[in-house]
Amino acid sequence: MSLKAKLNRMKKHINTDEKKEEVKAVEPTLTVPHLEKWTSLDSEPFFFDDEYAIVRKKTYPKDHQHGRYVFNELERVIQRWNNFHRAHPLSSKNLNPSDLLFFDTETTGLGGGVGNTIFLLGYCQYTNEGISMNQYFLPGPGREVPMYKAFLDDVQHLKNLVTYNGKAFDWPQVKTRHTLIREQVPKLPQFGHFDLLHGARRFWKNEMESVRLSNVEQQKLDFIRKEDTPGYLAPMLYFEFVKDPDPDLISSVMKHNEEDILSLITLYIHMSNLLLDNRGHHLSAMEQFQSARWWEAVGEDDHAASLYQLSIDGKYDRDAKKALAKIHKKQGDLAKSLPIWIELSEDTNDEESDIELAKYYEHKEKDYEQALHHALLGYQKWKSKKRILKDKAEAERIQYMKRIERLEQKEARRR
Amino acid sequence: MNRKQTLETLIHDLKQDENIAHWHEIEPEPAKMREMPESLDHRIQSALRERGIEQLYTHQYDAYNEVQNGNSIVAVTPTASGKTLCYNLPVLQSIAEDENSRALYLFPTKALAQDQRSELTEIIDDMGIDIKSYTYDGDTSPNIRQVVRKAGHIVITNPDMLHSAILPHHTKWVSLFENLKYIVIDELHTYKGVFGSHVANVIRRLKRICNFYGSDPIFVCTSATIANPKDLAEQLTEKPMSLIENNGAPRGRKHFVFYNPPIVNQPLNIRKSATVEVNRIAKDFLKNKIQTIVFAKSRVRVEIILSHLQELVKKDIGPKSIRGYRGGYLPKQRREIERGLRSGDIMGVVSTNALELGVDIGQLQVCVMTGYPGSVASTWQQAGRAGRRQEESLIIMVAGSTPIDQYIVQHPEYFFERPPESARINPDNLVILVDHVKCAAYELPFKQNDRFGSMEIEDILEYLAEENLLHHKGDKYYWMNDSFPAHNISLRSASQENVVIIDQSNVADHIVIGEMDRFSAMTLLHDEAIYLHQGIQYQVEELDWDEKKAYVRQVDVEYFTDANLAVSLKVLEEDKLSEHDSTTVGFGDVTVNAMPTIFKKIKLSTFENIGSGPIHLPEEELHTTSTWVSLKEDKDQLGTKTMEQILSGISNVIKHVVPVLVMCDQNDVHVVPQIKATHNNLPTIFLYDRYPGGIGLSDELYKRFEELVTSAENLIRNCPCEDGCPACIGTEHEASNAKELSMRLLRRLMEER
Repeated sequence: MSLKAKLNRMKKHINTDEKKEEVKAVEPTLTVPHLEKWTSLDSEPFFFDDEYAIVRKKTYPKDHQHGRYVFNELERVIQRWNNFHRAHPLSSKNLNPSDLLFFDTETTGLGGGVGNTIFLLGYCQYTNEGISMNQYFLPGPGREVPMYKAFLDDVQHLKNLVTYNGKAFDWPQVKTRHTLIREQVPKLPQFGHFDLLHGARRFWKNEMESVRLSNVEQQKLDFIRKEDTPGYLAPMLYFEFVKDPDPDLISSVMKHNEEDILSLITLYIHMSNLLLDNRGHHLSAMEQFQSARWWEAVGEDDHAASLYQLSIDGKYDRDAKKALAKIHKKQGDLAKSLPIWIELSEDTNDEESDIELAKYYEHKEKDYEQALHHALLGYQKWKSKKRILKDKAEAERIQYMKRIERLEQKEARRR
Repeated sequence: MNRKQTLETLIHDLKQDENIAHWHEIEPEPAKMREMPESLDHRIQSALRERGIEQLYTHQYDAYNEVQNGNSIVAVTPTASGKTLCYNLPVLQSIAEDENSRALYLFPTKALAQDQRSELTEIIDDMGIDIKSYTYDGDTSPNIRQVVRKAGHIVITNPDMLHSAILPHHTKWVSLFENLKYIVIDELHTYKGVFGSHVANVIRRLKRICNFYGSDPIFVCTSATIANPKDLAEQLTEKPMSLIENNGAPRGRKHFVFYNPPIVNQPLNIRKSATVEVNRIAKDFLKNKIQTIVFAKSRVRVEIILSHLQELVKKDIGPKSIRGYRGGYLPKQRREIERGLRSGDIMGVVSTNALELGVDIGQLQVCVMTGYPGSVASTWQQAGRAGRRQEESLIIMVAGSTPIDQYIVQHPEYFFERPPESARINPDNLVILVDHVKCAAYELPFKQNDRFGSMEIEDILEYLAEENLLHHKGDKYYWMNDSFPAHNISLRSASQENVVIIDQSNVADHIVIGEMDRFSAMTLLHDEAIYLHQGIQYQVEELDWDEKKAYVRQVDVEYFTDANLAVSLKVLEEDKLSEHDSTTVGFGDVTVNAMPTIFKKIKLSTFENIGSGPIHLPEEELHTTSTWVSLKEDKDQLGTKTMEQILSGISNVIKHVVPVLVMCDQNDVHVVPQIKATHNNLPTIFLYDRYPGGIGLSDELYKRFEELVTSAENLIRNCPCEDGCPACIGTEHEASNAKELSMRLLRRLMEER
């Protein structure tokens, strides 16, 4: 290698030393463009490692009305979870209101991937002084160290994230970007996580065209935004800001993010109310039925059964009964299942109840005649329905044929 | 029933056949072995003994030692010489020593990756060490992906997956990249042309990410025999390589035979179909229970030959003992066939070039090729399928009627005496390079003065910043766009805006079967074109140019289509120029403006023109590199009209010779005659790379111009036709001695150099 090339390689090392000295001198004079504008937006710069990020903090009173709820209803809801003995993924049992981190981000693109930069981290916390709203803004690429440093310093003592699709998107993306600077900032805490998107899908996907947060806000939380900047414009506005760092360009995105995280508080209150409503006073028929299904899915069969009872004679009468019969069967209480199946078999064209009856008579009662009767009846009902998937239909048909054939043989042998 | 004849007697009989054009014998070689290296972990040693391996072949031994010494290697290994041990030994050793070690295996296709995984797990099981190897591809289920990322010691994948799924998500692979000791690149020779140029850039990105996480992996490559394995490996990885080529695997005597089917129509020079001859020849061996592999060029041919053979020999050995093998079979089926071939339960297999690549099927006795496989390297690969360690074996190449096939059988020395082709890539092709700089910037910001591999890319970064894809701040360039660049870039083509090919044969289930760059699509995917995809014929029903979609339907016809392209060429820059007495040969950048005009339907068996139609498409522009030759003087007094015809005849011949010479596909280089080239007003033949920016083919042709001209002249001289046929200079000549005139012109190009 020539000397020149070597020198060129060494240059980096030599320069770094000089730079450090220089930078130290420069630090206090690091200028933040449009500082007054930032200040008027409740924001101030956070300096770290010769760089800065923008931190915006605001407090809302506990009795602030946000759509149909007042924030302090969160206290009561968490109290109720703490008093309730059943386990649920949204349960805040053993948590205080101030342990929760209502969290959302704004990014430069869609989907996961290293190059999708998070430029705004926002979270709300319920504190004694009120709702503390905190945002950490990236004033330009390469300043993620101060942004994450400020954010992580503030959230270390928090316990549980509450997000909307944060399990699949926001938090993995935070992990991705954090990995790139992991040596310069504190570790990411291990948070519990309530992702409210899952619940929104369970409760409302059949009635809403899309369960995106803005729809849920409007239709369920009675929160109407004024002059909202839709989320999909955020990347474009940010790219503009990066070229011309005028806070006016980005303030609407920050407002949008702020309202998102405030809505998460009331959405958590609302969803908890639905799940904790044991009498069904305030639930739509669909919500009532879906609440029971959710409790069943998390293994709380007794509780689910009592909630299914509330759906009987309503819009979801048949589905609730089927579910009830299934729970009874699972619990070994066939005596309770049997009348439901018989009722469904007689009154409806639901073939599954007939299959259950065929199984019951074949294996429990050894009454092959009855079993065959229901197997055939079920097959008739099944045949009368249209099917879309051919392969699946054929597999099902074979199942029916096998059962019928077997029962016919057993029946013949008995004679 | 007759007594079975042995291979020896059959070889003896075959020698008498009058259609044998050439008979070549390769002497046997004994095995060259070394003791197992002492440093090799005893658990690996005993796992090898378990499988009957007591010693290593010399190339395996050297590969292990070189890698242990910290050197990157490329091992050149013929078919079935135990090449997998060249990389598995060092990799397993390093994990046995330190269970944090990680390795990444790259195979050109998903199927090969899965094959290798099953072989690897067998050894690992015998070793009794907890080494986790996983394939990571589109089929990997989401719930195991997490495990692969965190805990996979050996991750087996393909370049496409690395490009679009692993590198852009590198933060999820921290434990792999932090501990990456080895990168294995198998089937190195397949990384050539546009694909290879892309992969070289993917490897630049990979190395950049390794560097970010503090690892500096050793590359272990294996390649089939090509002329330039070391160069290719060094170009692809930008690491110095040690070449391992002392193959120690033994070899029995081999007979390599060229068979030329008899002529059935003298004036038009039409020969008996190669497929028919292949059926007959293969039958003789199969009937006598001699294990035989038949190679065919397309899936359709495979199926046709297979059904014929099964019919012909069903009395003698039963149809089940002859099987087909091609892409599109399920992995389970393929495993079963491979096992059957190894155990000897399956007597014969008819295959596409799928069996050229490193699938383990043991060694067969006879290999029959339907036509010249297209390159010296792949011919040797296919030939390698025949040849047991101690016994004689036979390879028969049955020539087809194409000019290349005929050239090869008439010039056996061309095949046997020359080294196999070089595989060439051009990683610095601007279009490809910029694409990957984008991806790389998405993955990690660039610092000013950062190189990308060996490339200085300051200009590119500035350009991308101006285009608002990157943001320049301080001394860094950051990705600043809402897209995911890797999704818009396909490694298998150079231009981004591709035409998607949609098969609508099944009305209820339209499927995308491929894509093609725009420029090629004009001549290959126009309305009514017959498009061949993996050997299956499709007819284009509609080319939607605005939407870049071609709707095709499967057909079975006896013709192919050939589109005429009205081409104008502008020379932008002359990089190299050699002036001679009456000719000029140049190389440089050109702009090609092309507009397709009409297409012809040409009969498959005879190359007759059986119809034509118009093509309505807008003009396209392509910037690429080209080599050209101009005639400064019409020494033979041909006159414009004759000159035009002769030039076009010569171009036709050159078009056929080029792929043989530089190991590329026939469509990779276009040959265009111009009676009056725009830049010098002289009669000129241009040979240009069909990909934007060029991939180094025309550059190579400039260097080997003399060889190109000699081969073209030879082909014309040896063509048995009277005065031009579709297999050489074509038939549209008014001059009565067109062949002679063409050869004279070609000789002029040579003699004056």
